[in-house]
Formats: sequence, C-alpha cells, structure tokens
Amino acid sequence: MITASAGGAALLAGLALAGFSAVLSAWAGVRRDAVTARVGRRALYAGAGAVVLASAALEWALLDHQFELAYVTEHSDRSLPWPLLASSFYGGQQGSLLYWTLVLTVLGSAAVAAAGRSGVRLQAYATTVLAALAAFFLAVLVFVASPFDLLEVTPSDGLGLNPILRDGGMLIHPPFLLAGFSSFAIPFAFAMASLLAGRQDPGWIAQTRRVALVAWSLQTVGLTLGMWWAYHVLGWGGYWGWDPVENVALLPWLATTAYIHTAQVQERRGQLKAWNLGLVVGAFLLAIFGTFLVRSGALVSVHTFAVSDIGPWFFALLAVLLAFSLGVLAWRSSSLRSARPLESAVSREGAFLLQNFLLIGLVAAVLWGTLLPLLSGMVGARRVVGPSYYERVSGPLFLALLLLLAAGPLLPWRRAGRGWWRAMAWPAGAATAALLLLAVGGVRGAALPVFTVLAAAAATSVRGLRPVAHAWRSRRVYGAYLAHLGVVVLAVGIAGSHFWQTERTVTLAPGQSVAVAGHTLTFSAYGERPGAVGEQFVTLSMGDESLQAARAFYPGLGGQAVSRVAIRSTALEDVYVVLDDAAPDHATVTVFVNPLVTWIWAGAAILVLGILLGNLGSVAPSPVPVRARVAVPAT
Amino acid sequence: MTWMRIGGAGAVVAACVTYLVWSAASGSAEYYRTISEVHAQPVSGDVRVLGVVQDDVQRLDGGQEVRFTAADSGASMTVDYRGTLPDIFKPGIQVVVEGRTGGDGVFHARTLLAKCPSRFTAKA
Repeated sequence: MITASAGGAALLAGLALAGFSAVLSAWAGVRRDAVTARVGRRALYAGAGAVVLASAALEWALLDHQFELAYVTEHSDRSLPWPLLASSFYGGQQGSLLYWTLVLTVLGSAAVAAAGRSGVRLQAYATTVLAALAAFFLAVLVFVASPFDLLEVTPSDGLGLNPILRDGGMLIHPPFLLAGFSSFAIPFAFAMASLLAGRQDPGWIAQTRRVALVAWSLQTVGLTLGMWWAYHVLGWGGYWGWDPVENVALLPWLATTAYIHTAQVQERRGQLKAWNLGLVVGAFLLAIFGTFLVRSGALVSVHTFAVSDIGPWFFALLAVLLAFSLGVLAWRSSSLRSARPLESAVSREGAFLLQNFLLIGLVAAVLWGTLLPLLSGMVGARRVVGPSYYERVSGPLFLALLLLLAAGPLLPWRRAGRGWWRAMAWPAGAATAALLLLAVGGVRGAALPVFTVLAAAAATSVRGLRPVAHAWRSRRVYGAYLAHLGVVVLAVGIAGSHFWQTERTVTLAPGQSVAVAGHTLTFSAYGERPGAVGEQFVTLSMGDESLQAARAFYPGLGGQAVSRVAIRSTALEDVYVVLDDAAPDHATVTVFVNPLVTWIWAGAAILVLGILLGNLGSVAPSPVPVRARVAVPAT
Repeated sequence: MTWMRIGGAGAVVAACVTYLVWSAASGSAEYYRTISEVHAQPVSGDVRVLGVVQDDVQRLDGGQEVRFTAADSGASMTVDYRGTLPDIFKPGIQVVVEGRTGGDGVFHARTLLAKCPSRFTAKA
C-alpha cells in the first residue's frame, strides 16, 4: 500500500519535473541563458531521480510479494527464485514502459551532463527534447498504464511466470533490447538540438556519434542475446525467424549502422549533414513505430505482447515526432548545405554512401514484408510473407554489403587515384584462393560466392589490424577493423548454419542408432525425474560423449511441456537434440547438426569489443579532417 | 558529375531492391484465410490459417505426426501435421498453420506455429 503510493507519487513528481525541465530548457535555449539552462538540466536530473525511486518501489513490491499491486500479481508468484522475480520488473507492459523511461532519463541525463563543452544552446535544446520525451512516457505511466494500480482483493499468491520464460536468457535479453530501443532517443535529441541551435560543427557530431554508438551497442547485444535465447530454449534449431517483433528490433539497428558510417564523412569532410540527420531521426522513428506495431496488436506475431490501450498514444507520439523533425529539418535546411561538394564517386565517401543505400534498401524491404499483411488487408485479401521472402531479399543485399566491407576500407578519401584497383590486390588474392579451395573442396551453389566474398572481407579486416606506430592514438581505426572482423565472423556463422544445417526426426528403440551428418547417436537410457516439475529424459551416446535431452512438465499450467535441448558445441558445429516424445520403449528425437553456430556468438562479441576498444577513454581523437590528398592505399 | 554517379548508384540499388522484393514476394506470399474461407473457396497454393486447437489431439506414428481439429469463429477443420511440435502445443492454444487442403478434406500443414503466451504472463 505504502509502496504503491510512494511509487505513484514518484512518477507524478517525475512528470512534473520533466515537463518543467522541457519548458525551462527551451526558454533557456531561446534566450541563451546559462543560468536558466542549468536549472532546466537539474530538473531533468531530479526527474531521473524520481524515476529511479519509482523503479525501486516497483522492484521492492515484486521482491516483497506485495500482491495488492495488480502488476505484482499478474507477473510473479511466490515460487519464483529472486533473480526471476527481479526480472518480472520489465516482464509486463507497465513495467517495461517504466524501464524504458528509466533508461531514457538516466542515460539522457548522463549524455546531457557530458555535453557541457558543446555550448549552452545545444545542451539546453537536447535537454528540452529528452525531457519532453520523458514527460510523454511518464504521462502514459501515470494516466494510462500505471504499474502501481491496486487490486480490490489481495490474492495470496500471484499468477507466476510462463515456464518457457523461466530461463537465464530472459533475465538479460529484454533489458538490453529495451535499453537499446529507448536510447535511440538520445542521438535523436542531440540531432534535433543541433538543428534548433543552428549548429553543424564537429562538436555535435562527436556527441551524437558517441551516444549513437552506445544505443547501437546495446541493441547489438540485445539482438544477439535474443538469438541465443531462441536457439538454446525454443528447440527449433534456429535463431532468427523473421517474425515482426524481431524485424522491428532490427530496423533501427540497420539505420544506425548506416549513420555511424556516414557520420565519418561529416566528421572529416563536412559533407552529408542533412543525410546524417535524416538517418538519426529515421532510426528513432523506426524504434517508436516498431513499439507501436508490436504493442498495438496490429500485426500477428508469434510473440504476443499484451495488447493494450497504449497503441494510440504511441501512434500520436509518432505523428508528433515526424511533424516536429520534418518541420525543423525544413526550417534549417539552408544551414545543412555541405561545405564542399563530393569530389568523386570512387572514394571512401562514395563507398559509405553505397553502403547506406544498401542498408536503407534492406530497411525498406524488411519493412515492406512486415507491413504487407496490413497494407494488403487494406486493399483486399490479407497476404503474408514468410522467412523465405526475407532470405531471398536480404541475402543478396547482405552479400553486397560484405563485398563493400572488403573493398570500401581500402579506398582513399576524396578521390581514388588512377591505380586504386591495385589496393584491392589483398582481398582479391584472398578471394581467388578461397574460391579455388572451396571449389576443389566440393562447395557448390550459393555458398560458393558467399564464402568467397567472406574471405575477401576477412582479408581486408585482418590486414587493417596490423600493428602501426601510435597504436593507442589510432584506436578508433583498430576498433573499426576489429568490429568489421566481428561482422565477418558472425556472417560466417550465419552462412554456415544456413547452407549446411542437417535435420532429422527419428523414433528409436533402446539401443538403436541414427546417423546424422557423420555423427552416430545411440538411444542408451530413458529416465524420469518426478517432482513439482516432472521431467522425462533420454540419454543418447555419441562416441565417448553422452547427450541428455529432456522434456519438463508443468502440472500447474495445464501440463505444459518445455523442451530442454541437448547441445554439444564445438568451434565447427553444434549437435542439437530435441526430445519430441519419449517412453521407456521408444524415443522420438529431432537431431539437428548446425555448422558454425558458435561463430555467431563469437562474432557478436568481437563486434562489441571492437566498438568498446575504439571509443574507450577520453573522447577518442577524431581523425584529422582530410585536406591533403591521401595516397593509395589509405587504411 | 559526381552527384550524378552517386545518384545513379542509388537508383541502381533502388531498382535491385524493388526487383528482389517483387520477385520474392510473388514467389512466397501467402494468403491469410479464416477457416470458413478455406471451406468456402479453395485456393491453389498454400494458405495461412489461424485456429484454436481442440481437445481431440491424436498423436500418430510414434509422436511424429499429429492430427487435431482447429476451430475459429464457429468453423472448424481437421489439421494433419508431421514434424516437431512447439513446446507449448496443447488443446486450447492458438496456432497458425501453413499448408493446403488435400483431396481427403484434411488440411495438411507444412508448418505449425504456436502463438507464444503473453510475455511473462502465465495462462493456465
């Protein structure tokens, strides 16, 4: 009771502070008033503090089993171990909105506080945009979807948590993804602030680029953990299903990937200002649009979010943000002219733009596929596309991007000299060698060009990591190549498991064996573990090893079964066994052999490591603006 | 000149993406049908149908095949599916099946997706 009141009061205080901060900071920006701006900033920090208090109240209510709160009853029960209990915080609609607001206000405050050197107006306007967004979320939390609503009757226990979500992956995957989603607001706020302040100098690019990298990295980790969870828990042998919920998480990530590349063109050459702003704004609008789509129930997804009344609110927010950003962009369009024109299409700038075109094409194609049921429903029969659509469209685009990853970093800034193609000797040599080896090794079909291009991309990335003098000062370049290498490793994993997955479903009698892709698995034992959560398991021996696949039954939930997949991972392949049906005299299992899946997780780790390494410490020295012509090859 | 080349590259990418989207969508787009629509107007090609699994689930062939009745707004159809079932498959849940009606009047599903229970919310 007290917890609920305290939480509700903290939310209300946060709303008042955020609204106050938005108005005051806007005023300070217009009047160039440093004192008012400071008050506005502090109001935002105080608002963040209020959101932290509200979050602490909800977390306390969950851990303390305060079932008088509807949210606690609906999302937890007494049997949950405390880590899962703590994670029910972001398990439902209201809690995940509160979590979103928490990330927005805390990271937003930190970003504003760190932007002190960018000038009063830029800082004040960034505070305005962030505080206004925080006020929107807090208003929804206070008036529409409060996590502190009380039940009339206090139940003795809660409804609990669905068993497939009772897994460690669930503890870490949603908070990263939600944090990624909400932190796309911060680069957006800085982009808008620079427009409002009429500033297009390197200062705001450095700020925006860093906060965009933070959001992008959080989203990278969230997406990877989501794939990892789907692979280890759901038992379908895959990790990405092109479901609408997955697609909308991918879209802002793709748009930000485009931005962090072309931001360098602006940094070094003062070009593509309007383009970059468009990408930052687009990424944030895609994040809000995605949230609206999956929360409004407009699309049929295998992930069901609680469909609720917050859909129209997000739609309204989307409309306001779109009108606001387009208005400000149009108003300031004259200040967005490039300092100088692009000199040549065959240059680093040209490569970045081509990469952007491919990424935007990918965004458009994925968005089209996701929206097809809605769009076609408006004009006639509802149509829908499945994974094969996305694979056929994205495959060639991803391949072109990898080709660019092999060639682009070797092109010089401004304009390539006549012999630019000589710089390509390294990736071309690697590609030729790989092509010969693969062809001799018997690789045919689409896998042949894909792995050839991957070899070229790997060659360029590895060569970029060779030691040079002043390595620490060049850490941004090293970080970038390491991140590229991570992308290549990840792509090898995706390509390997896509082209060479083997799947077989068999029913075995005790002692009987099955051979799948060179592995012989023998059904050696059947067992049952009774208990509150009953479990059936079968042991399969494979050489000296034994794999135990199981099915758990949750009697309290209508006998819902949960597979416990057995996975034996090596660097080359995963043997992945799902138990479909078992009895002492037979076992039906599906055996997948998934080549190179481990490379996906390793690649994502290398990618994030590269980003961290390249941007650690004080603001990494931004590369010297290029004036003189750079010799070939420039790496 | 430079901008024309870059614009040209952009136009080529846009044309390629349009072609890819068009060819992939016409090759793999399926129609959403309700169960009563499946009965009323048979379509050539696969369709996607949403239905609730009824209590008559039979497992055949050592659990590798399953046959059940799917119902939605008063209409129902028999569905036959061979393959791995999702963990949460049981009477009462919503499934999306993709496939076509055979000559035997049974809907032969090529894929079967179960709608995940609401995130973190248990439904007994």
